[in-house]
Amino acid sequence: MNNDVLLDIRNLHAGVEDKQILKGVDLQVRRGEVHAVMGPNGAGKSTLGGVLSGRPTFTVTEGSVTFDGRDLLTLSPEERSWAGLFMSFQYPVEIPGVSITNFMKAAVGARRKALGQPELSPAEFLKLLKEKMGMLKMKGEFARREVNVGFSGGEKKRNEIFQMAMLEPTLSILDETDSGLDVDALRIVAEGVNRLRTPQTAAIVITHYQRLLEYIVPDVVHILKDGRIVRTGGRELVDLIEKEGYESIDG
Amino acid sequence: MDRRVYVLGRDSAPQYLRLEAGEELSMTLVIPPGLSGREVLEVDLNGPGASLDLSGVYVCAADERVDLRVLVRHAAPGCHSRQLFKGIVGGTASVAFDGLIYVARDAQKTQAYQENHTLLLSESARVESRPQLEIYADDVQCSHGATAGYLNPDELFYLRSRGIPEAEARRLQMIAFLAPVLSRLPEELIEEIHAGLS
Repeated sequence: MNNDVLLDIRNLHAGVEDKQILKGVDLQVRRGEVHAVMGPNGAGKSTLGGVLSGRPTFTVTEGSVTFDGRDLLTLSPEERSWAGLFMSFQYPVEIPGVSITNFMKAAVGARRKALGQPELSPAEFLKLLKEKMGMLKMKGEFARREVNVGFSGGEKKRNEIFQMAMLEPTLSILDETDSGLDVDALRIVAEGVNRLRTPQTAAIVITHYQRLLEYIVPDVVHILKDGRIVRTGGRELVDLIEKEGYESIDG
Repeated sequence: MDRRVYVLGRDSAPQYLRLEAGEELSMTLVIPPGLSGREVLEVDLNGPGASLDLSGVYVCAADERVDLRVLVRHAAPGCHSRQLFKGIVGGTASVAFDGLIYVARDAQKTQAYQENHTLLLSESARVESRPQLEIYADDVQCSHGATAGYLNPDELFYLRSRGIPEAEARRLQMIAFLAPVLSRLPEELIEEIHAGLS
């Protein structure tokens, strides 16, 4: 059944300026699946996340990406978001002067408008905000804080998952969400991600370490090395990397 | 504290003010979109312990010419002055900011700060910022800073990746940039300035 493929990456080549980073990535993600993309530093993990979310610094030179039946690479970052794609940033950006509430109001409002859904009333929006905050164990004052300003590493990552919960994406890409998290924050983040799992949605967890994968259990594991996926398997790959490192896997 | 807001071109703003011992003044100058002209303001901190909190905001998004000259003179000891001027300059508009902090020899224990930050929206927008310090006392804390830059592309991408369309994302960034000064203004004036950003 080809129609339950949510994301179809074929022969993707991409890079920055004259430097080639991804050198022919093939990856298919079906609805309901969680994929892990693991790899050493410099393998191209963050480039993959950047290309999928439409970061302008990267240029695609070859290949295609189909998302939910659409040509993803022709869409602007905001159109990708409306289409149901979400990326949790490795380094969430601070936006002084913009409160979490106003940020999310703009994001949810724009999305609903683009999808032809009626605007939420202020009361409905507040209810949604509180529900999602509760899910991620965030205190009331959080909504009034400026986006990521003065947040600890853990708070920033939790804020990413909170935004993911607010936007209810079909495909979530978690780019090194575990970096900078202590065990408690890791657990809260993973719980949030797991609770958002449905048979209709999928996730790609990009990570260097196996730590997060103890909490978010992947169905499929890919090893990315030097811009290519060199091995695809099940959870046993995570243990193999843990024991023998990336060196043991040939590119 | 005395809090005053002047919208240039609409209110008649003072050109000279003198603060006596212990007097405190908070003042905000607003240069609304579409207004060109020169604004000169001199403030004397004339008695010990006087305090000035001066802010300004300019939105010049088309072809405005704005010339701002501010002189804050510390003539007495133990006075505080804090200045924050922020603005957005786009199109072919051009803004000049001259800010002089003068500290007289007797004005020991002065604390004087001045900042001027500008967000440029286009390649042909211009800002010239000339902050100056002239200090004759030796026991003072003074600083000034000026920056000019474009909208942060990482912020913009972050906002867009959450589904906020590019134009709206830029507008949010501008609002956020001006927020430290706008927060001093009455609600209807904030809304008027927000509406002028695009």
